[in-house]
Amino acid sequence: MLLTLFGVSFLVFAAFEIIPGDPAISKLGTDATPEMIAALREQMGLNRPFIVRYFDWLGDCIRGDFGRSYSYNRTVISMIGDKLPITVTMTIISMLLVIAVSIPVALLLAKYMGSTIDRAGYISNQILMAVPSFFLGILITYIFGLTLRFFTPGGYISYRQNFAGFIGYLLAPSVAIAIPKCAMSVKLLRSAILEEWNKDYVRTAYSRGNSTMQVMYRHVLKNALIPLITFWGMAVADMIAGSIVVEQVFNIPGLGRILLTSISNRDYPVVEAIILLIAVVVIVMNLIVDILYRCIDPRISK
Amino acid sequence: MLLEIKNLTIEFHDHDRPERVVEDVSFSLDKGEILGIVGESGSGKSMTALAVAGLLPRKKMEKSGEILFEEKNLLTLPRHDLRGLQGDEISVIFQEPMTALNPTMKIGKQVEEALLLHRHMTDEERKAKVMEWLEKVELDDSERVYEAYPHELSGGMRQRVMIAAAMVSDPQILIADEPTTALDVTVQSQIIKLLLKINKDSGVSILFISHDLSLIKQITHNVIVMQKGRIVEQGDTDEIFLHPKEEYTKKLISSIPSVDLRK
Ligand SMILES: Nc1ncnc2c1ncn2[C@@H]1O[C@H](COP(=O)(O)OP(=O)(O)O)[C@@H](O)[C@H]1O
Ligand SMILES: [Mg+2]
Repeated sequence: MLLTLFGVSFLVFAAFEIIPGDPAISKLGTDATPEMIAALREQMGLNRPFIVRYFDWLGDCIRGDFGRSYSYNRTVISMIGDKLPITVTMTIISMLLVIAVSIPVALLLAKYMGSTIDRAGYISNQILMAVPSFFLGILITYIFGLTLRFFTPGGYISYRQNFAGFIGYLLAPSVAIAIPKCAMSVKLLRSAILEEWNKDYVRTAYSRGNSTMQVMYRHVLKNALIPLITFWGMAVADMIAGSIVVEQVFNIPGLGRILLTSISNRDYPVVEAIILLIAVVVIVMNLIVDILYRCIDPRISK
Repeated sequence: MLLEIKNLTIEFHDHDRPERVVEDVSFSLDKGEILGIVGESGSGKSMTALAVAGLLPRKKMEKSGEILFEEKNLLTLPRHDLRGLQGDEISVIFQEPMTALNPTMKIGKQVEEALLLHRHMTDEERKAKVMEWLEKVELDDSERVYEAYPHELSGGMRQRVMIAAAMVSDPQILIADEPTTALDVTVQSQIIKLLLKINKDSGVSILFISHDLSLIKQITHNVIVMQKGRIVEQGDTDEIFLHPKEEYTKKLISSIPSVDLRK
């Protein structure tokens, strides 16, 4: 696990070494003299060998010091700390939406397997799965924002000002992020339910006098959710990465926004910290998935 | 007479041609009786058993005849009323104890389910009843079994759990469809002894289905011999084993691998 983080950190650091662009140049602008650039590189410590800078940076990171932004006069920590709640809130709302919507829809489709409802569900699922979130975002902005005026496009409200308003504004982008994941969840869960439905314990449950609904909720659902856990774990990491684009569509100053501006400014400390953060999220989600597995599936040894 | 089956016929309609898997089967089951159904694989034993248990799907098959229990025809009984009998008056144990239990539910929860569905009891009363049955089916360490999951138990223990779950509501009829076929020989005889003991103690009638004639001979009072969905011969077990009338029955009996030598 630590090894994974180590690997990711090295790759990230190395990547920005290789891709063209010089932070000193982008900070000073194109009309800077070579002397000015050399002086700034010296001051930023960019002249030292790659490996030395890497371990220097890694050591700082381990101590919790992610350095200062090249372009803003702030520490990386304070910049990220400011934006993190926005992206995290959006991801949490999306995930809750995915779980709350996909379970009942999958149950419904499984119940009416082979019927018109099931086929209509299948087709809309295939479509929704394939549509990217940013496009859904544009669609939602257009329909619910501009036409129906449920929310003001671009009218982001800071969580410091008005928490309810903040959540309200995040709802639309969260829906845009949730829809493709939700469609995928429905598809996976529906087929998991149908697979469980053919197992012997279902017949045993019926033989005790359970109704179809009771067989479903008491017995089948828990077993069918097992394969979904991995998918949901991956979805969370995916949503954080996916929020970068959706934040642009909805004009939300979240992590995605600073990531994009930092990349174009060659503000490496910020970019590296954000990518490390995403790596940490992926690793933590894996851990959570593992723990959930152990809770829900007793066959996995403790 | 507890249960009476009259002219039961079951047809599958899921292929191009309808397929008759049970044809014109009639028999009855008395209180306390152990009735065997014997026949080679595919002869319609399980279909008959599932029909009595009310577990055949409603779609894709046609059933005719009557299955009478307490003056009610189970074939035409509304679903809700049928559920009221399932697990309460009529219980089932199946061939595969490895897959018949829900892998993610604790044993205690599965054994108590029939009580939960059919009886008004406090949690303590229910647990007491479950523990009583876990002990009656001779599971050592019943406290541990109560909290265990199916994968932590052996096949024989799981079949005991299935029996406890079936008997916990004191049903009048226990349907046992090849209950020992998946188990090894020593465990098989323990389970058979257990079923006999339960039959004696609680007076439950047992519909015992097996392709194994020596088992049928050991435990049943009466027997039905089935072939290709039809009854070939039926009557008192000892009588049929001594004086089989039909060629098919004679052939089956002569193929028993030296029963007497085992004793
Ligand atoms: N879904 C089905 N469609 C058509 N025939 C079936 C189906 N399921 C079982 N059968 C047939 O029903 C017959 C009786 O099966 P079964 O009662 O399970 O036999 P037994 O329990 O005596 O071995 C078999 O010939 C089997 O092929
Ligand atoms: Mg069978």
